Amino acid sequence: MPTQPDDEAVCSGETAGSPEPRGARILGHVARSEVLGPFTWLTVTAPGWQEASAGQFALVQWEKSRTLLPRALSVAAQGENEVSFLIAPVGQATRELCGLREGDRVWILGPLGRGFDLPALVGEGRRTVVVAGGVGVAPFSLLLTALRDKMCSSSGSLSAGRLRPSLSPGFGVLVLLGFRDSLQLAGAEPVFRVAADLREAGFPCRVEVVTEDGSQSPAAKVTDLLGRHLLPGDRLAVCGPWEMARAVQHLCLGVEDVRAWYSLEANMACGVGSCHGCAVPLADGSFARVCHEGPVFAGEDIFGG
Amino acid sequence: MAVSLSVQLGPINLAHPIINASGTMDIFALAESLGPHVLERPPVAAYVPKTITLKPRAGNLPPRIVEVTGGLINSVGLPNEGLEVFVERDLPRLLRLPCPVILSIGGTSRGEYRSLARGLREALEAVPACPARTDPGDQGTAWTSRVGLELNISCPNVESGGMAIGSDPRETQAVVAEVREEWPGLLLAKLTPNVTDITLPARAAVAAGADALVAVNTYKALALDRHTLRPYLGNVAGGLSGPAIKPLALRSIYELYEAVDVPIVGMGGVASLEDVLEFISCGATVVAVGTAVFREPLLARCFAACLAEALEERGLTLSGLLGLAHVKE
Repeated sequence: MPTQPDDEAVCSGETAGSPEPRGARILGHVARSEVLGPFTWLTVTAPGWQEASAGQFALVQWEKSRTLLPRALSVAAQGENEVSFLIAPVGQATRELCGLREGDRVWILGPLGRGFDLPALVGEGRRTVVVAGGVGVAPFSLLLTALRDKMCSSSGSLSAGRLRPSLSPGFGVLVLLGFRDSLQLAGAEPVFRVAADLREAGFPCRVEVVTEDGSQSPAAKVTDLLGRHLLPGDRLAVCGPWEMARAVQHLCLGVEDVRAWYSLEANMACGVGSCHGCAVPLADGSFARVCHEGPVFAGEDIFGG
Repeated sequence: MAVSLSVQLGPINLAHPIINASGTMDIFALAESLGPHVLERPPVAAYVPKTITLKPRAGNLPPRIVEVTGGLINSVGLPNEGLEVFVERDLPRLLRLPCPVILSIGGTSRGEYRSLARGLREALEAVPACPARTDPGDQGTAWTSRVGLELNISCPNVESGGMAIGSDPRETQAVVAEVREEWPGLLLAKLTPNVTDITLPARAAVAAGADALVAVNTYKALALDRHTLRPYLGNVAGGLSGPAIKPLALRSIYELYEAVDVPIVGMGGVASLEDVLEFISCGATVVAVGTAVFREPLLARCFAACLAEALEERGLTLSGLLGLAHVKE
């Protein structure tokens, strides 16, 4: 009887006894999986993980996935040989990831893409405003962590950290989060924790949350919050649904000297700029690859001046 | 004694038989993500850049890709900056790669294909001296020994030309003949599987002077948005690639091997080393990886590294495996 074709992928990237052949992916394993409402906070031990900048992403796939391709996920937190993601179970691949247990193996390629431009977000005399909708909160725990690290002198510990003169504490960070319902609120936990760290370090960081179903407070959208808070000179980091991004940009145009950067999402295949599958239209009529030129884009590039 | 993996594709010698499918690897973008080692040691035996056209193309409206069971449907639409930018910006750095390159061109008419081939030939002839190769023992420095030309006459995602040419044997013959007059180097015709009999355009291409065939491009396909039940992709239909098409592609390679006497670059859903062996057995001298590199960008390097051992395990050589599926027991 003929031998049946074997579906096992040949290239594990860790062929026994030999460092070759090496793929570019890391075969990591789940260290922890925490349920945060409808979301999952997945922490993966990933030997050789290179530090991501806030807003960068990784391609992630369960080793035994039924899907063909990995999914692009924002890096939500990281440590030495460790990376965490906040995942919403929206389709087969993300449902698989949300169902993983400690020890399950996961392919990771990253960090990829261009993240937030931190110096532009926290320039002198600027207030940084973070705006997130739903699982769009994912990149902001890392962004706030990066801000915290920037605030504190490299010599001192966090609690003893000195504020750098260029980052006046008078301006600080305002985090505005919008969720569909109170269940989703749990997804804000990681951001609450880092925000508390920032305040402990003496840096003003306020978090405000609204829910669209009104379970938290009067029903509102995060853009309603932003409309009340936006000030001239603000610098925004935004991640959420496309309609939210458009509404944010509309608000920004009405206030003087406001700039915003948006982390975009798109169906993605290669994640490394090869296939042009994730292209989004820019204001000038050209297209840009979310994976390569993005995922973070300046508002004027996407929406025009 | 290690099995030799080196293969000859017309005047071009390849260190091993694994290359990439056009449009699935931007080696320069990849190097920005993974590091310069990608350029110093390309994962492929020959690098095939994305298809270029005479004039710049923005590409199709998003969404451009959607995953389906066992495959990927794309309607990217050949975005590229056109011949002029390609010659000025990309060609010099492509020639610096330590591996051969197979340029890919697409057009809407015979004249466009001819202009593209002429433009590329003139640019290559103007290169004062071909840059030294990393292996000094390698073949001569004539550019024809390291630059080939693929005619993409099979793209399903452009409004005219593309697949319309490749599915018509007479048009195929005419385009290949025009380009043949302009291009002295390795000339490959990339075939569409969206035909009743793929050997007809294949024979036409070979009769007009193609040195090798590339098969297969994607299968015209459609996916609907599950909520709206309307076409998902911005351009409505697209081309299906990935493991779902592998058995279909294998059958095409098998038929082509019986029909023509030129080398075949086989592709279509190659995702494992076993797939590579199967394509060679059906008649592919060279095997290209495409959609599977979206999971692992260095997959071709992994395959090349494991291929000799896989052949030895089976008591085969590369030349012994080529066409094995056709040998009557």
